[in-house]
Amino acid sequence: MRKTSDLIDALVDSATPVRRLRPPFLRAALWLALAVGVLGLLCIAHGVRPDISVRLRQPVFVASMIGALATAVLAALASFKLSLPDSSRWWLLLPAPALAVWVSTIGYGCLTDWVVMSPEGVRMGEAVRCFATLLLTSVPLSIAMLIMLRHAARLRPAAVSAAGGLAIAAMTSFALSLIHDLDATIMVLVWNLGVAALIAGLASAFGGPTLAWVAARVMPALPPQLSGRQP
Amino acid sequence: MPSCNKENPPYLGAPRLTLVASTAPDNARTSGGQHDWSALMAKAQDGDRDAYRSLLQQIEPYVRSLAARCFNRPADTEDVVQDVLLTVHSIRNSYDPKRPFGPWLVAIANRRIIDRLRRHTRQKAREIELSAEHETFAEAPANLDRMTSAEVALAGAIEKLPPDQRDAIRMLKLNEMSLKQASHASGRSISALKVATHRAIRNLRRMLKGEPS
Repeated sequence: MRKTSDLIDALVDSATPVRRLRPPFLRAALWLALAVGVLGLLCIAHGVRPDISVRLRQPVFVASMIGALATAVLAALASFKLSLPDSSRWWLLLPAPALAVWVSTIGYGCLTDWVVMSPEGVRMGEAVRCFATLLLTSVPLSIAMLIMLRHAARLRPAAVSAAGGLAIAAMTSFALSLIHDLDATIMVLVWNLGVAALIAGLASAFGGPTLAWVAARVMPALPPQLSGRQP
Repeated sequence: MPSCNKENPPYLGAPRLTLVASTAPDNARTSGGQHDWSALMAKAQDGDRDAYRSLLQQIEPYVRSLAARCFNRPADTEDVVQDVLLTVHSIRNSYDPKRPFGPWLVAIANRRIIDRLRRHTRQKAREIELSAEHETFAEAPANLDRMTSAEVALAGAIEKLPPDQRDAIRMLKLNEMSLKQASHASGRSISALKVATHRAIRNLRRMLKGEPS
């Protein structure tokens, strides 16, 4: 085993100046700005859904949109806050109220639309475009978040990536509701809840190793002679 | 801190890892003209190696005292100390000099201590450490160092027997052959083997009691 005094020598030798992380609120704002940029580009490329003016008068739709957006904002803030060692674990609960609003409106919409839904409500063409929107939103946001949160790999990867995954899922769902006029309830349900569960599940299952992988590539903070002994 | 004490190590049963309010060190270590840890870390972030060395040397005993509460073996404590120092090094950019250094350090130390306690729990659940008794070899001479002193004395006494008695003891008693098998193997009669064994045992008894033959 290496002696601790030797380890300190090696660490001091490899101590280069580092740039301090910006405050978590600012970093969450940067990520949200990126999300707004991605959404803006998608809206320009694809256009918002044609019946947006009608839908915006429906309280349930508005509540669902606000709930998704608030979940995204709060979950992003929570994940950036959680990624710092000395912040409380209770930040994980920050997006819970917004999440409750969002999930409850999805359920309500599903029940009310169920009766009038016709069998040809689900069109595959729209579904495929929907899937494209989903990837276009979630992939860049996930990559950005992984890079921004890489330093959390050694601290609490599960909590950070669960909150981050929830933020990405909520933002993706917001984009889908804004752009696609999927009135097929099952589709909305599968997309909204399924995507949220999928991304949050993937993030918490693989978040730790992925964060560590990104951290090792983007932030080779340890000197090479120590890299085999990373905790 | 994880609630560990050596009398009741948490990794023996179900791990109970409770984080309670940290007993953070005084953030201002100004005694003896020393800079406080927060200022040292701020300088280290700017690339001041002397400040960084002094910080690491100052926090090392503190981290060791945290780790020593949870581990019995000094090697485990030392491993945790090194893990904590490595983690501090790799995420030193996440420290904000405006905030106290103590909680930041204690949070990192807690994470590493909990990681190692979990590893202990996993190892205890799945692995059995081999002790010296489990380590034997097929060849009898390879295990000589495991023999008790009585066994060693007996083996030496057998070596000192006359050849015919020694062979008889080996075949009939040590290798547990029957009289017929031993007679067949050695070409000697059954009665000769019986006599040789009888004499051998008498000689051994005398030798082990220390009587002159």
